[in-house]
Amino acid sequence: MDVSQYLEIFIDETNEHLQNLSDCIMVLEKEPDNKDTINEIFRAAHSLKGMAGTMGFKRMQHLTHDMENVFQEVRSDKISVNSRMIDLLFECLDALDKYLENVKETSNEGTEDNEAIIKELNDFIAQASGEAPAPAPEPAKEEKSDTAKDEDEREKKFLKVELDEVEKTAIKSAEDSGTRVYGFTVYIHQDCLLKAARAFLVFKAVEEFGEIIIYRPSSRDIEDEKFELDFTFFLASSEDLEKIIPGTLAVSEIDAVLAEEVKFADFNKKEETSVSAEAAPAPKEQEPAKKAAPAAANAGKKQAANKPVTSRTVRVDIEKLDALMNQVSELIIAKNSLVSISATEGGNFESQLFHEQIEYLERITTSLHESVMKVRMVPIESVVNKFPRMIRDLSRKLNKSMELYMSGEDTELDRTVVDQIGDPLQHLLRNSADHGLESSETRIQRGKPAKGSIYLNAFQEGNNVIIEVSDDGNGIDTDAVREKAIERGVITPDQADGMSQKEIINLLFMPSFSMAKKITDISGRGVGLDVVRSNIEALGGDVEVSSKLGEGSKFTVRLPLTLAIIQALMVEIRDEKYAIALGSIQNIEDIPVNEIRFVEAKEVIHLRGIVIPIIRLDKILEMEPLEKEPESLTVVVVKKGDNYAGLVVDNLIGQQEIVIKSLGKFIKANKIISGATILGDGEMALILDVNTLF
Amino acid sequence: MMNGIEISGKSTKQYIVVKIGSEQYGLDISYIDNIVRMQTITRVPKVQTYFKGIINLRGEVVPVMSIRLKMLLADDQFTDASRIIILKIEEQGTIGIIVDEVKEVVELAMDDIDRPAQKSKLDKNSFIFGVGKHGDELISLFDISAVVDEPDNA
Repeated sequence: MDVSQYLEIFIDETNEHLQNLSDCIMVLEKEPDNKDTINEIFRAAHSLKGMAGTMGFKRMQHLTHDMENVFQEVRSDKISVNSRMIDLLFECLDALDKYLENVKETSNEGTEDNEAIIKELNDFIAQASGEAPAPAPEPAKEEKSDTAKDEDEREKKFLKVELDEVEKTAIKSAEDSGTRVYGFTVYIHQDCLLKAARAFLVFKAVEEFGEIIIYRPSSRDIEDEKFELDFTFFLASSEDLEKIIPGTLAVSEIDAVLAEEVKFADFNKKEETSVSAEAAPAPKEQEPAKKAAPAAANAGKKQAANKPVTSRTVRVDIEKLDALMNQVSELIIAKNSLVSISATEGGNFESQLFHEQIEYLERITTSLHESVMKVRMVPIESVVNKFPRMIRDLSRKLNKSMELYMSGEDTELDRTVVDQIGDPLQHLLRNSADHGLESSETRIQRGKPAKGSIYLNAFQEGNNVIIEVSDDGNGIDTDAVREKAIERGVITPDQADGMSQKEIINLLFMPSFSMAKKITDISGRGVGLDVVRSNIEALGGDVEVSSKLGEGSKFTVRLPLTLAIIQALMVEIRDEKYAIALGSIQNIEDIPVNEIRFVEAKEVIHLRGIVIPIIRLDKILEMEPLEKEPESLTVVVVKKGDNYAGLVVDNLIGQQEIVIKSLGKFIKANKIISGATILGDGEMALILDVNTLF
Repeated sequence: MMNGIEISGKSTKQYIVVKIGSEQYGLDISYIDNIVRMQTITRVPKVQTYFKGIINLRGEVVPVMSIRLKMLLADDQFTDASRIIILKIEEQGTIGIIVDEVKEVVELAMDDIDRPAQKSKLDKNSFIFGVGKHGDELISLFDISAVVDEPDNA
């Protein structure tokens, strides 16, 4: 079967399942007896196995199968969870992750068999069977056993089917001719994509043994996938049920097959039958399942109750959203140009109605833009939920006791930002774990709890999303940084004397500046913080540090909510127009020229107690200076973190919603120009990235 | 013959003939997306000197390059005949180049093209890959990738 078209879905879903597994195993480590979690893990491993099987990834299937076996044992209380097992399970996840990486790159799972892991998994099972009297169940039986978890909710619907006369006759005539009639209710896995195909495979499997005489829903509806997660049919066969069942269970993504022999007579008193059937012990082919069930069944039920109602979502290719976004951008440009036409004085657009409609249009385009942005927003959860696992591993590797506390995982960001924020955050967390936190002994000496805490806190603030990574460790030792910087020749001792705490901390972001006293493989290769900064700046954000020696440090990452459309202040310098993102503007001042002071031969203004350096944009933008300096300057005060700068412009035009367009790959623009935008009248303005001016 | 579309059995390519100064140059038509009239070019500060700036091409931002400055000729004099030729280059995107005049489309067979005996890197000749003979006229054929590539990474 050609499954390449499902590859993307496979990759997405496998990612989800792996994440889910990772989360659950973390929980399991803390609460080894949590049955809900064990069941959840089992379910995820099982789904993974099914998907890998469908896609023909045999090695993945094999590994997940063995994982599943281990959980089977855990579930049936034959082995208990211990730390060795948790480690092993994480190794499995890493191995699966590698398979997935291979699949992503080559559409193939690769050739690593991971025999060592599989062997260890099997050792666990062997150990279990050694301790428990019962032999390890056979694979086929296990498959069935996972039907147990939902057995409470699953019922033999075939007992409740209402049959019409023709169908009853069909059953009767089958019975009369000496064949037996079996009722089947098949439950398909909820994530199954090709329900009809699965149903077809089930039918094919059973039709080897007999003839299907009745379908519920009708065979046509099943073909058209007009059914939920289960379907029912009646098979007339002369074979034993035990022979028929395994074939149906071999079809992947089938959660359960409930079947038993039915008699024509049953359907005449079907009310009673169905009641008694539910109360009755499971038919014999379900027996191995039942054994494992009791503990699990309750848990399964509870879980189902916790489960939120399936949200109605659609998976959309990000490219389609990009296209949509582009079209919205076009629309906003068109709207802007209508607005600018209507504002033209002396035009024939005096009519009240026209203006009202323009305003209406503005409202619509703005809310359309917002909606599209919202669609593109995804919670940062998908990135940060990998971190608890990472910290756990780091904790072991560094032999430091630590705990990660996260909040605001549901904070949303543009998809493109979320995709790229993972690495920088990971760096920061590693940095906190490795350099920030002290060893447990030191911590105890200092009167801190032995266990270090790392916090990841995300929230929205205006047009930005802030992600803070902090720890209660040692904080940044500015003296040590200063010494190091001098030693490395980054700064001279003279320079160092004049530097503020903040400036010294900023040295950490210089390329090739690593504070680790010894190089570990966790961080400390000097490619940390400068990469973090450049990655974040590439996303239009910035990062700041604050730190208190002995108490900890805090990295604050500020990211723009959106990348494509921003609110900007339009300014004029000579006859050129420029846009400055509104988010970074603090205020606008009229400054008489004679209030300009000089500090170190640089122009500054003194504004409400803050000394603000003046930046002459005309000079930076390579323009001819004015012949005669005006008496007062229009200064746009911009802010980056705690720093201010005053940009001198000639004129203010006003606030506008602008669409950011790239200048393309040919032009090697200075970093100060972050793009261009098309104005309402078709004119173009360049966008200034004021962050580069600091 | 003069106006060009010459069908022959040999493999031929169409070139747009443009004038820059007194010379005629040919551009492989397959790279050409559009030819537009001169329009307002928005200056972009702090870029390579031969980039005149950007234009708004139906809502797209397109950088515009002066081929004259790139070939170290005198700066462009914009006239009614000046045109911006929009080239679409795979991967790198769209770029406009300014020419003094667009003349015609000609079809040249491989046999009609003389390769220069030797290519000197620093010479402006490094932008052309051959000379096409069309009737009595000689047309220098631009090597598009050399034209748009940066000297330092060419």
